[in-house]
Formats: sequence, C-alpha cells, structure tokens
Amino acid sequence: MSMQNHDSSSKRLLGMRAKRAVGNTAGQILLSALALLWIVPLFYLLIQSFRGETGAWSPTFFPQTWTLDNYKRLFTETEFPRWYVNTLLVAAVSCAITTLFVLAVSYAFSRIRFPARKPLMNVMLILGMFPGFMSMSAVYFLLKILLPNNYQSLASLIIVYSAGAALSYYIAKGFFDTVPKSLDEAARMDGASRARIFRVIILPLSKPIIIYTVLISFISPWCDYIFVSYIMSGVPDTGMYTVSLGMFRWLEREMIQQYFTTFCAAAVVVALPITLLFMWLQKYYVQGVTGGAVKG
Amino acid sequence: MASLSLKHIYKVYDDTTKAVNDFNMEIADKEFIVFVGPSGCGKSTTLRMIAGLEDISAGELRIDDVIVNDVEPGDRNIAMVFQNYALYPHMTVYENMAFALKTAKVPKDIIHQKVTEAARILGITDYLERKPKALSGGQRQRVALGRAIVRNPKVFLLDEPLSNLDAKLRAAMRAEIIGLHERLGTTFIYVTHDQVEAMTMGSRIVVMRGGFVQQIDTPKNLYNHPANLFVAGFIGTPRMNFWDATLKKEGETVRIRLDSGSELVVDGNTLNRVQSRYMDGRHPVTLGVRPDDVLPWREGMNTTEWAKLPATVTVVEALGGETLIYGHLGVAIPDDPPVGAGAEEEAGKAAGRDTVIIKAPAEFEAHRGDVLDIAVSLRKLHLFDRETENSIIPVVPIENVCACTLGNGFLIFASQRFSLPPALGKAAKEKAAPSAALTLPTGALLLGTGSGRAKVEEAEIIRSEGVTKTLYRLTVGGETVFAAESGEPRFRVGDALPFDLDFSRITVETAGGPPSSGITPLPVENRLNGRFTKEKETDGKGRKVYRFYLEVEDLPVAADEELREKLFSCKGTAIFRTPLSYRFPPHAVTVSPRSGNADARCLPGRVTETLDYGRTIYARITVGNQSVIAPYDGRAGETVNIAIDQSKLTVVDAEADIIIV
Repeated sequence: MSMQNHDSSSKRLLGMRAKRAVGNTAGQILLSALALLWIVPLFYLLIQSFRGETGAWSPTFFPQTWTLDNYKRLFTETEFPRWYVNTLLVAAVSCAITTLFVLAVSYAFSRIRFPARKPLMNVMLILGMFPGFMSMSAVYFLLKILLPNNYQSLASLIIVYSAGAALSYYIAKGFFDTVPKSLDEAARMDGASRARIFRVIILPLSKPIIIYTVLISFISPWCDYIFVSYIMSGVPDTGMYTVSLGMFRWLEREMIQQYFTTFCAAAVVVALPITLLFMWLQKYYVQGVTGGAVKG
Repeated sequence: MASLSLKHIYKVYDDTTKAVNDFNMEIADKEFIVFVGPSGCGKSTTLRMIAGLEDISAGELRIDDVIVNDVEPGDRNIAMVFQNYALYPHMTVYENMAFALKTAKVPKDIIHQKVTEAARILGITDYLERKPKALSGGQRQRVALGRAIVRNPKVFLLDEPLSNLDAKLRAAMRAEIIGLHERLGTTFIYVTHDQVEAMTMGSRIVVMRGGFVQQIDTPKNLYNHPANLFVAGFIGTPRMNFWDATLKKEGETVRIRLDSGSELVVDGNTLNRVQSRYMDGRHPVTLGVRPDDVLPWREGMNTTEWAKLPATVTVVEALGGETLIYGHLGVAIPDDPPVGAGAEEEAGKAAGRDTVIIKAPAEFEAHRGDVLDIAVSLRKLHLFDRETENSIIPVVPIENVCACTLGNGFLIFASQRFSLPPALGKAAKEKAAPSAALTLPTGALLLGTGSGRAKVEEAEIIRSEGVTKTLYRLTVGGETVFAAESGEPRFRVGDALPFDLDFSRITVETAGGPPSSGITPLPVENRLNGRFTKEKETDGKGRKVYRFYLEVEDLPVAADEELREKLFSCKGTAIFRTPLSYRFPPHAVTVSPRSGNADARCLPGRVTETLDYGRTIYARITVGNQSVIAPYDGRAGETVNIAIDQSKLTVVDAEADIIIV
C-alpha cells in the first residue's frame, strides 16, 4: 500500500518535471524570437552607419565597404553638432526642473494633508491620461503670450517640457508612501522644518526614485519630435533645431538618398548618452535603502 | 521637567468620529504616566496630540502653563520614542543622535559632548559609527532613547517602545526605562497595550477604552478599586472572575445570591458604601473576585472571611510556581466550550459569567471534571452595576440613596424631620407620599448648622487633582450617610454635629406616584444656545477694530479677551459658523435690577419666578425663549441685567457635542 503510494507520487513528480521543462523551452524559444525582432532593426541601423555606399537602399544586409565617413560628415558638413548641443541643453535643463517638480509635488501629496489634496490628485491623474500633444495649439498661443518676441526658441521648449511635469507624480508618490511616516515625525519632533526633512532625511533615502525620475524626464525631451516640429515650424534658422527635428528632415523624399547613412550615424550618436546614462545609473537602483530604518 | 495640563481634549475625524473624548488630566512634574487600553482606544492619538503630530480638535493643552495647541512639535521641547524607533537609516548612530542638536545649530563640541554622554548612559558608545541596520532590536531601541535624551526635553513621550522586542529583552528594557526616568527626573508619558508594563512602570495609569478615559489612578488603586467592569477585567492577570448576582440586606449581613445558584453571606459593614437601592434582592449586579482571592478550600478556614462554593474543573494550567485552575461554578460542566486563555482576553464580556479562575499552589492536584470546594475571600469583593458596568463600591461616594417620607411641608429622612423651603413647600402639599426615595448628593449635606443630628463614624481626606476634600461617614438615625466638604476635616470621629439639607440639590422620587410627583433638584448648570460673533466697530480714536460677542437670542454680550483667545485657538474662524451652547453654573451669574441703558457686558432678562430655598433665593429668568436660574431675590415680572462670569463658562459645540472651552 505504502509502496504503491510512493510509486504514484514519484511518477507524478516526474510528470511535473517534464511538463516544466517543456514549458520552459517553449518560453525560451518565444522570448529569443522576440529578442531577435527587437535587435535586428537596431543592429541594421548600427551597421548601416558604417556603410560606404551612398543612397537610401542597399541590396545587401551587410555593407559592401566599411567606412567612418558618415560620422566624419555628420560632424563637419552638417548642423548636427549644433542640434546636438541644443537638444542636450533643453533636455538637461528640463530634466533638472522636472525632477525637482515631480519630487516636490509627490512628497507633498504623500505627506501633507490639505483640503484640495484628493480632488487635485484625481484631476492631475485624469489630465495625465490625455496625450500631451492634444493641447498643442493652446500651448502655442500660451507661449506667444508668455514670450511674445521669442516664442520659437529653446526656452519655449524648456517651458513646454517642464511645465506639465508634476502630472506624473504618481510613481514617486507611491515610493514616498513606502518611506515610513514616522521618520518625518521623528524629524519634526527633532525640530526640523518640512524643507529640511525633505532635503536631509527623505531625499537621501529616495535614490531609486530620484534616478528613475531623472531618466524619464531626460528621455522625453531628448526624444520628442511632435512639440519641436510644431513650435519650430517655419523657423528659417535651421541651427535652432533639435536632433529629432533636424534628422527627420533628412528622411524627406529629396534628402533621403543623400543623407540616409548620415542619419544612421546620427541615430547612433543620439542613442549614446541615454545608453550611457542608463548604464551608469542602473547600479543605483539598489533595493533596501530603507533597511534598518524600522523594526528589523 | 514640566507639568502638563490637558483640558477637555477631543480628537474628531471627519467632524463625526470621535477618537478621543473629553480627556482631562493634570500631570505633575517628574510623573511617569502610562496610557493603557486595547488597540483603538485613543491612547496613541492622545500621545500624538501632546507631541503635536496630530491637531487637537478641541480642548486645551498646556505645558508648564503655556497653551501649546498651536506650537510646532519641534518647539514644544518634547522628545518622542516611536514604536518602530524611526531611526534615520542613512545616518550613523552618532548622526542620528546629533540630528536634533544640529538642526538647532548647537556648536559641534557641545553636540559631541552630549552625544557621547548619552551614549555612555545607554551603553552604546561602541556602536556610534554604525548604521541602524547593523544594530539589533535592543540596540536600536537604545539609540532611539539616546536621540531623545540628548535634547534634554521637558517631557518624554514613548509610544509602545517595547512592543517590537522579544519577551526577555522587553523585561530588561522595561527596567532600564524605569531607571532612566529616575536618573533624568523628567516627566514621562508612556503608551502601551500591555497591562503588565503599565502596572510595573507607571506612577499613575490612564485606562482608556473607545476614546473615553475609564479611570486615572495609581497602579495599586486601579487594582484594588477599579471604577468599572472594564478596568477590573483589563487590569490584572489572570482576569478577574465575574459572576452575575443580586444583593439582599438581611439585618447586619448582606446575602449575595449568584445567578448560578450559590450564595455568599457578607458582613454588612464591608459593603456600607453600596447604595441601599442595590440591596433589594432584585437589582442585577456583577460580583468580581480576583483569582488571587479564590483558593481551593482548606479545612479550618474562617467562614467569616471565606465563602465556600462548589466548582467543577475544566482546564488545569500548571505554571510551575503556581497552578491556574479554570472551571465553572456548580457541580457539572456545561456544554459550552471550555474556558481558556483566549476567553480571558475578552475582558468585561458577558460570556462565561459562571466561569471561575483559581490560583492554586503548585502542588495542588486537579483534573478535568473534578468537583472542588473553593474558598472566595469576602474581604476583597468588587461589585458592579450590571447595566452601567460602574463599580457600586465607590472610593468616593457621590450620593446617598435612602428612603424618606414626603409630607405637607416637611420631609422625614432617617427619622428626622426637615421643613421644606417655600419653593418646595407648596408643591409638596399635593405630593405628600409616605414612602419615597431620597437621592442626596454628598455635597448636599450642610454640616455644622441646622436641625438634623448626625454622628461622625469616619473622616477621610481625599486629595485629587490638587483639591483637598473631606469625606465623612455619618450615622443619622441608624442610617449610614456620606457627606463631603472641601478642605481639611472640621469634625473628628465620634463628634455629634448638626446638619441641614441643601434642598436645591436633592431628588425625591415617589414610588408609584405620577411622574410629576416628588422633588427635582435645580439644574447644576444653565444652558443657553447661541453663537459667537464679531462686529467691525470704530473705537474711541476713530480706528476700525473688531469686537467679539457671545450672542444669545440675537442679544450680544462682549466677550472677554481670554475667552476669545481660547475659542480661536481651538476652532479658528470656524467658531463663527458653529452653533454653540454656553453652559455655566447658577453661581456664575450675577443679577442686578435693570435701570437705564443696556450694559454691553450683560444680557437683558425678565424674572418669571422666584424660588426660595431658605438659605438662597433663586430666580428663574427668561432671556428671549430660553431661561436661566440664578441666585437673585426679586419680584416676578421685574426686568434685570444678567452678567455671566466668563471664566466659569463652558462653551460646547452644540452640533458635535464637543466641549470647546
């Protein structure tokens, strides 16, 4: 009786193991296929940037001749370096402002109870659900009022990118909610002001969310095309462009034959800072910063 | 090093839920106060209001006689130790302890000196450079205490600081905190749900339940004189035994008949503070006996001190040093599930009112199903009204209830005859009743004058909250009557003294008569509904100023500056929108005949009735559609000015029923 039981249970165990192996293999194959789908266009872009032949279309997947000319041309013959500096400036300044806004608003929503708190949070959440470009025409006129002589400028872009930043408070608020409130209270008992608590107690404990906010708020202006194209449309001085706007020009029908490989080179250069930023900041996504704060 | 005063403190959420109700307490310097109660009883909320982490909805909090309702927590000079320690995880132990001083911009060398001193006291000098996560629970607890010590605060608040520690460490830290309190000589307020912690640590304990204070007293008094069933069940382990019963006075003895069938006979003298209305053999009461006062019966026990009852054993817990026996009164086990440690937690619950817990010596042998004779100590009985759950053996009786006869213009009580004052004499003609119940507050006996004759049996001095009172036990024509007076004793035991009754405070209920019969006392407080308003006015120099008024029936009375400040500090400008009830005792009113113009500090009124109580003549005065009672000798129909002593005024939020001032 007991032997039989043992047999059937070991059989069942084997069956489970086999099932798990099949499932795992199927999953791995599916994921590999997906990964390939993701990688191929990026890889294609990368090798095309080293292609010696000109023109938009090449008959082979791998270039016939390898060259660095595309990069040389990018930095010497085009306005790309100026666009690059413009974009870097806009993204960096917006990122700084946005991070500050998001963290401050999230902290306030997480900690301070004030009468309009709930309605305000809901309104902001709903507003955040609409795509930002829906408000484009309104933004255009607002900018015209705000900067009457200079609304087609990098300053405008910075304002547009950072003004609505607080709408994305949700994730940071969620993080602050997990930082024990008793830390704030202990600091209040110790005589610290709200600002000092935020600066000296909360921020040092919030590295992961600061990193996250910095990354997100850098990437969105860095990659944005819609607002730039709208605000900068009709600007004669192409030196005011950001990379996405300038590079998109190269893909137009009359330019693409001449600029496609340069475009690929530019795309690689654009991806570079974000990749580096990610690689550098990733190690700060450390869990357990709050370990030891409370009951252990 | 500070005294605290909490007056009518409330915490109200969403304008309806009251987490803390009318908390009143005076805490002297260097006291060790413990707030204890089950979770959700409002103890932590009260502590956090003292800390300033929660707003005070209504009431007045003073530290060293300064109102601090609106003072930031950091400026109250209070330190708090949190349940989860709340150490700053990214700072070292040293930085944690130095944080408050750094915030206050104390010079570095002084910070260093204070931190090292505190670390030395707590024995954490070796860990100063460590981060909190590298410390054990007990060490973190010490750092949290150290962070409080370095600031040299006026008051220490501790919010369940030991609940995260294991039992052994908890006992050690308990001793350490007691030692720390002695060493620092600072006021400590300690919150816990553990009654053992409360009993061992507190110089006084506040027992709370459902937002209400149940009793404030020393550990010893809480244990020996619990004010109600809840306190009796909450304090002491194992829990007090509760048995439903009735009392019947039979000559010099009182027969306690338990609902489960047994009987105890007690000398009447030990229950002389129990009002006679409970002694009728019908009034439902609950008898409480601590397990320490229940033993297995031994031959030769004195039956005047011990009552012998049969009980059936259900569970035996041998603890080594002693044995706890759980059982039921009577000779059979009922079908209910057996009583155990779980049921014990259900303090004050009606369930299992015939169960018994016995503390027996360790060598005592008993088994489930055994029928034992148990001995119940008759000297340490607790009795509670089953409906109100309040103790009916009060430490300080507040009223006497005895039989009386109401006649035409007189009242006979304890075979002594008292003339009724004119205000009652007329009424009593129609109300004459041969047997009626007299409720006589202890303060309504006026000692030293009058036609009554009494003998002092006992005089006891009672000091509470800074007031000294004397409680006399008197015999009046064979009845025991308690009388209270403020001040030190004026009479000695054995003295015979005259006394009179304050007829404005007595109640007489006639049995079976119409509801209107009998005598009702004058209200102890007047209530006027109104509002608080402000007016923009021009002062003598032509400047615009705001003046503030108590408004009753649209009649304004100028508000005192102090009252205005108190109202503002509690309610802010919402005070102007809140319907208020102004409450004040009759003696806070001064009435004067009205002549000429209205006085801004008085309400106009009209006397409708005068009530002559012999010693004092009162008048019922109408103000609009409301009326007040005040001492005044005048004619009906006369118009008068009513001046209210605003320092004796209680202001109540009429909607939420919250005392504001």
